Amino acid sequence: MTRSQTKAAQPSAVQPGAVQPIPRIALTWLLVAQVLVILPHLLHLPFWIAGLWLLCAGWRVQVFRMRARFPTGIERIALVIATGAAAFFSRGSLIGLDGGALLLVATFILKLVELRSRRDGLVLIFLGFFVVVTGYLFDDGLLAALYSLLPVTALLAALIGMQQSGMAERPGATVKLAASMMLQAVPLMLLLFLFFPRMGPLWSLPNPQQAMTGLSDSMAPADIAELSQSPALAFRASFDGKVPARRELYWRALTLEHFDGRRWSQSWGAQQRTQPVWLKQGPSVSYSVIMQPTGTQWLFALDVAVVEQKDIYLMSDFRLEKRRPVTQNLMYQVRSWPQAVREPTQTRGMLSRTLQLPGRGDPLSREWAEQLRREHTDPKGLVEAVLKHFNQQPYSYTLKPPTLGDDSIDDFLFRTKKGFCAHYAGAMTFVLRAAGIPARVVTGYQGGELSQSGDYLSVRQLDAHAWVEYWQEGRGWTSVDPTFQVAPERIDLGAQDAYSDDEAFLEDSPFSPLRYRNVGWINDLRLAWENINYSWQRWVLGYRSEQQLGLLQRLFGSLNWKRMAVAIVGGGGLLLGLLALWLFKPWRRERDPQQRQLRRFEALLLRHGLRRARGEGVRDFAARAAALMPRQADAITTFAQAFEAQRYAGGASAPQELRLLLRRLRRELPWRAATRRQ
Amino acid sequence: MRTKLDAVLHEVNQVLLGKEPQVRLALTCLLARGHLLIEDLPGMGKTTLSHALARILGLSFQRIQFTSDLLPGDILGTSVFDKDSGQFVFHPGPIFAELVLADEINRATPKSQSALLEAMEEGQVTIEGATRPLPEPFFVIATQNPVSSGGTFALPESQLDRFLMRLSLGYPARAAERALLLGEARREILPRLEPILDHAELAAIQALIPQVRTSDALVDYVLRLVEATRSEPQFAWGLSPRASLALLAAARAWAFLANRDYVIPEDVQAVLPAVVGHRLRERADPAGHGGGALVQWLLREVPAV
Repeated sequence: MTRSQTKAAQPSAVQPGAVQPIPRIALTWLLVAQVLVILPHLLHLPFWIAGLWLLCAGWRVQVFRMRARFPTGIERIALVIATGAAAFFSRGSLIGLDGGALLLVATFILKLVELRSRRDGLVLIFLGFFVVVTGYLFDDGLLAALYSLLPVTALLAALIGMQQSGMAERPGATVKLAASMMLQAVPLMLLLFLFFPRMGPLWSLPNPQQAMTGLSDSMAPADIAELSQSPALAFRASFDGKVPARRELYWRALTLEHFDGRRWSQSWGAQQRTQPVWLKQGPSVSYSVIMQPTGTQWLFALDVAVVEQKDIYLMSDFRLEKRRPVTQNLMYQVRSWPQAVREPTQTRGMLSRTLQLPGRGDPLSREWAEQLRREHTDPKGLVEAVLKHFNQQPYSYTLKPPTLGDDSIDDFLFRTKKGFCAHYAGAMTFVLRAAGIPARVVTGYQGGELSQSGDYLSVRQLDAHAWVEYWQEGRGWTSVDPTFQVAPERIDLGAQDAYSDDEAFLEDSPFSPLRYRNVGWINDLRLAWENINYSWQRWVLGYRSEQQLGLLQRLFGSLNWKRMAVAIVGGGGLLLGLLALWLFKPWRRERDPQQRQLRRFEALLLRHGLRRARGEGVRDFAARAAALMPRQADAITTFAQAFEAQRYAGGASAPQELRLLLRRLRRELPWRAATRRQ
Repeated sequence: MRTKLDAVLHEVNQVLLGKEPQVRLALTCLLARGHLLIEDLPGMGKTTLSHALARILGLSFQRIQFTSDLLPGDILGTSVFDKDSGQFVFHPGPIFAELVLADEINRATPKSQSALLEAMEEGQVTIEGATRPLPEPFFVIATQNPVSSGGTFALPESQLDRFLMRLSLGYPARAAERALLLGEARREILPRLEPILDHAELAAIQALIPQVRTSDALVDYVLRLVEATRSEPQFAWGLSPRASLALLAAARAWAFLANRDYVIPEDVQAVLPAVVGHRLRERADPAGHGGGALVQWLLREVPAV
């Protein structure tokens, strides 16, 4: 058989054993993706990381332009050591979230200079995805989530560019394909979001950053010269019914029972998970709370709170505690009985804890307490006398209190008479205890800002508050707020409105929109944005296993594992079925049995990088394939000949024969889609 | 029979060095009973090819040099009064040969051109009321000179359509040219060539070619090609049914030469540039020579299977 018209076998694009270089497009998109991935991390990473990126990117680009060479082993080791040392010195440690994230990003950048082969490129891309995910540990807001679509798309584009294809010349087409792939992933993402079982975290990260803000577990007003006010959100609460009046909104977080003369702190006795005795009384309020991560275990609720959630307990001092520290946004449903009677009878060790005072110090206050005890036999009368004292004497509320001396309570009560809630709560508790009335300081938040629509309250760090509760036999605990006597507007209006004229208010956050709450449209924008964020937290971040269960129960009635499994398998199957329909398009299926086998033959070779050109005959295609894959040449040629014989030489149509030949070819082809051909 | 055809190819390739594809196409054209148009510069071996084919196939050979003052009678022949017999005696022109080389056909006037082209189509000539059949086989190789456009009458499309194929020989490869320079003069080789096929064998082969199988799938491919020229916007006009018949005939001959008794798409593709290149014009440039690019488009874009 002579054939003069032989097409020259196309030279294999990949030389055996050669390192596959990074295509230009892939490199471009990798660099773009790196910028996008690192950008949000710059908020918490030291600035030299940007310099490191510039160095590495510049180096790699020069390598690509053949103006520089890849770093040698020694240079690479030096780079790694220098970066590690810089990370250690700027973070003090390489362990923990901050140091770990820094190291991860540094690795992500350093890998750039040894980006030689396609394999390195893939490592870099997958590392990039991981860095994107770690970003959520620092910020899981709506904006951060939306933003992360950008780096993910760029990484996908780089991944596509990494594959050898004609697209390697057009960066636009690559990113378009990446974006369309992202879009196609959306339904799957939603399905998984809704139905994928939520598991408890296997481990949790210590998060020093978040533990710093918010309430602390002790209170030393004497040492605070200036109360810093942060507009950061503490939690949001949405009530099922009417929102109670602001002055009833005392969100309990902690009780501080131990006083050492300067500092109030928690006592061991109040840390029990034993249910305290309390009697339901009066109406109840139901609400849900979405709290920001605090890194601590305590939660916020109105008195007396009941939460139907396994890992949340009511502690013996009527506060709520979660089994594990809150490291992510947490949503919980609460029902509170504000008028309940709390611990009407004395419990063991209670008096010793709630009457505890330091052995000496503050003689004037003790003396005053003695005097009050002599004047008032009834504890209630005594408390009222103290409140009246605060109300009538020239006490004033300030965010910049003068510092106090050794006898801090005396100093405050009789000399400076200026302070904020912690001063008043601490001093009053001291006096009550000295007068023989069991009392303790309660810290938490007071009030909150009602949203535009009136659906929910936003409680901020600047709403942090401290108040007093005292105990009487038979009546249990009663809460009183001495600050209310001094600065009733603090309670009635809330901190923002009461002190927005105060110079110290939000001095540390000049750009906080809260500062500009008097400008109408800024305030409207701020509240609208709050609304969006609230929905994000409520419906997306707050979508935990409880909410998932609730949704599934609403959808499928009473839920059991069987139904759940059926739903997941069924939903997944339906989705896969639709996907298969869309991919294989059976209505467009080849009716001609020979053609069908030819399509399978083509698909088989396509997996090995060979595509039959539209105008290419089977014989030519087979010759080309056989030249590139000499080991399988025989099987390929046999199939092509059989196809030709049936289709053109008038042989009987025998698709079965073609199928057998295909099977033989498939057995001979290497299992993996080889990028390097033998 | 086929070994003889291979021998024919081999012999012609000995004379015309390094032009195997063109030689094969030229033989294909002859076997398919078509006429051949060679468009090339002077001195590229057009005459040598025609002469060698004629010698090896045992065909009588005539060459007509077309000039602007050539008259139809110079081609077809004239009746001359014979004083001895007192009658007009027909003196057949050079067209009455089995292989006619019509050199530089576009230098003649349309009138003379059409005399040749009619003869090619009909297989006979009518002179002074008498119809005279042309010899069988009858094969015309016409040449055109693409450069010398001055004083030429370009063949109209309708007449181009009558040529089964248009070829271009092109410059020889370096090695072929070296062999040419070092070897014997072609002029001396040609007379020594011995016929390999006689007329009966050639006729038998030509009769076998229509029996080469063209399956439905293959005809579908030819139809796809033709339909593409008629529907795609870049074609000034589509291929005529004569063209599709020519394509199929040429593909059959090509398949026969390749020792096959059925046609595959690759055969069609092999002859496609030669068979349809001169019949296609680009819409953007209907007077130009865009056929080559269009053929490449057809080869690339029309599904072969």
